[in-house]
Amino acid sequence: MKKNKKKPEKNTKTTAKVTEASSKSTRKEVPRTPSLLTKKHDLQKVEVPRSQESYKSDKALVYLVGEAPMVEQYAELCIAHGYDVCVSWNEPLTKKQNTLSPGIIISSTVPENISVAIELTNIDVLTKKKNLEKLAKALPETAPILSSSITITATEQSAWIAGKHRLVGIAALPTFIDKPLVEVAPTIYTPMETLEVVSRFFLTLGKEIEIVQDRVGMVLPRILCQVINEAAFAITEDIAAPDDIDKALTLGMHFPLGPIEWAEQIGLDQVYAVLKALHTDLQEERYRIAPILKQMALTGVWWKQSSTH
Amino acid sequence: MFKHLGIVGAGTMGRGIAQLAALSKIDVQLYDVNETILRRAIERIKADLRKMINLGNLPHEEFSATLERIRTRTSLPDLGHCDCIIESVIEDIRVKKDLFKHLDANTKSTAVLASTTSSLSITSIAAMTRNPERVIGLHFFHPVNTAVLVEVVKGYKTNTETLDRAIEWVKLLGKYPITVKDTPGFIASRISLPLFSEALRLLGENVAYAEQIDNIVKKIGGFSTGPFETLDEMGIDSALAETESLYDQSYGEPRLRPHPILKQMVESGLLGKKSAKGFFNYEEMK
Repeated sequence: MKKNKKKPEKNTKTTAKVTEASSKSTRKEVPRTPSLLTKKHDLQKVEVPRSQESYKSDKALVYLVGEAPMVEQYAELCIAHGYDVCVSWNEPLTKKQNTLSPGIIISSTVPENISVAIELTNIDVLTKKKNLEKLAKALPETAPILSSSITITATEQSAWIAGKHRLVGIAALPTFIDKPLVEVAPTIYTPMETLEVVSRFFLTLGKEIEIVQDRVGMVLPRILCQVINEAAFAITEDIAAPDDIDKALTLGMHFPLGPIEWAEQIGLDQVYAVLKALHTDLQEERYRIAPILKQMALTGVWWKQSSTH
Repeated sequence: MFKHLGIVGAGTMGRGIAQLAALSKIDVQLYDVNETILRRAIERIKADLRKMINLGNLPHEEFSATLERIRTRTSLPDLGHCDCIIESVIEDIRVKKDLFKHLDANTKSTAVLASTTSSLSITSIAAMTRNPERVIGLHFFHPVNTAVLVEVVKGYKTNTETLDRAIEWVKLLGKYPITVKDTPGFIASRISLPLFSEALRLLGENVAYAEQIDNIVKKIGGFSTGPFETLDEMGIDSALAETESLYDQSYGEPRLRPHPILKQMVESGLLGKKSAKGFFNYEEMK
């Protein structure tokens, strides 16, 4: 087999984009984890690993697995930016739900020539573990594994797998993928090589990254879910009507969206998963979940905009 | 239909509401303790109206008619005939309580007495009057001429008639009223509080730098300003005072707990933009 033979430098489209933006990735903030502090690397030499020749395409292959809405959103983004994309979902989808662009391959077995793998599960941690174990076995040593790390830290996830150096956490929630920035959290094992490949990978998708510490909720999910939680407490206490709450925040505090509508867009089950993880991790009363939010998340009910009128 | 609006306090908020009312063709009695403050307020209103005329937002002939609707007063009993009195004196519970005691004695018993407080309890203020049923909160936002929201705050004893009339007044002023119960921070401040308190905790726990948190909140969250920029803008001392007030009023609710970083910054003289240093450095801009 020609498995180990490197691909010729024929297709340089994605690589070129990366080089142009690579100066930006030299950040003044040094990520403060042990493996990142030990050695420095020449950033110019880093590139997203190429797919191997056994795969019948000259593009790098991205493998996505996890919760359906996020997998779909990431799949569309990757294929639009010149990657080959292969996906798998935690739950089987009906034909109606599957509206993926042509070219996206659906396969629950992990192909062996993957360049980058992304695991997108926030709610069911056991499924996440199974997905990661499967990925770690199938992936080459050079392919980074990006894993959503807002309900369980990336470092805790890395304890599940061999080849820990490949794992990097990202903040993935439905709707976040449309934004120009991604929060990235290296684990205590992540070396600069992996982090740089990840940074380049996001640059090829047209996104900047912000490197933050590996903590439950990371930055925006933690802030946003606590805002939604506070709104749910206010509803529980009957301080104001749900529609009025959204109006108060958008008109009074210049929020881009009211918390009730925001929760609906992200998905209440996701918000609940983040809040539950924060409460478990931080063990503080301030992260207690508003009863109505918990009940509505578990029963799948939430206020739609203006449904109260 | 009510015609006469009284406003107590000709500071930024009081003056702004007077201008709004006069533009909505309502007669205003604008009260403050001395002529100098009142004269300054009228000058500012004139300047604002001229700006509106220049921008084509106000017909030229409306200028003097609008100004004539605002009468300045230095004696509280002159507000006796007003149908609604809106107070916007300094955010100090003792000053406000004292004022409402006087308003109660010097106004007709059917008048609505409203406070523009952003963080004090309407119920506490109302407790100083013989008719707490007619006391209500009208929380306007900055800048008062463009911010459309007004929180109409029901005190413990505020009756429905007062609430309905206050809502009608807010609509007359061209604002969007939402009704809220009298709780610490009402709705907008309370629900937006985690944006600041969690950002401060993330900073305190060293999860990310202030610039990074602002960048994430803006670029992923879609906010126009980040929490630390906003804190610098409003003043770290004001932010600390407000969160301390909410925390005290709630008898120590953990979600409302102020963050020690704010206190340390205030003690070190880092007050935000006004001191040229806060979470960010503004020295070069000076």
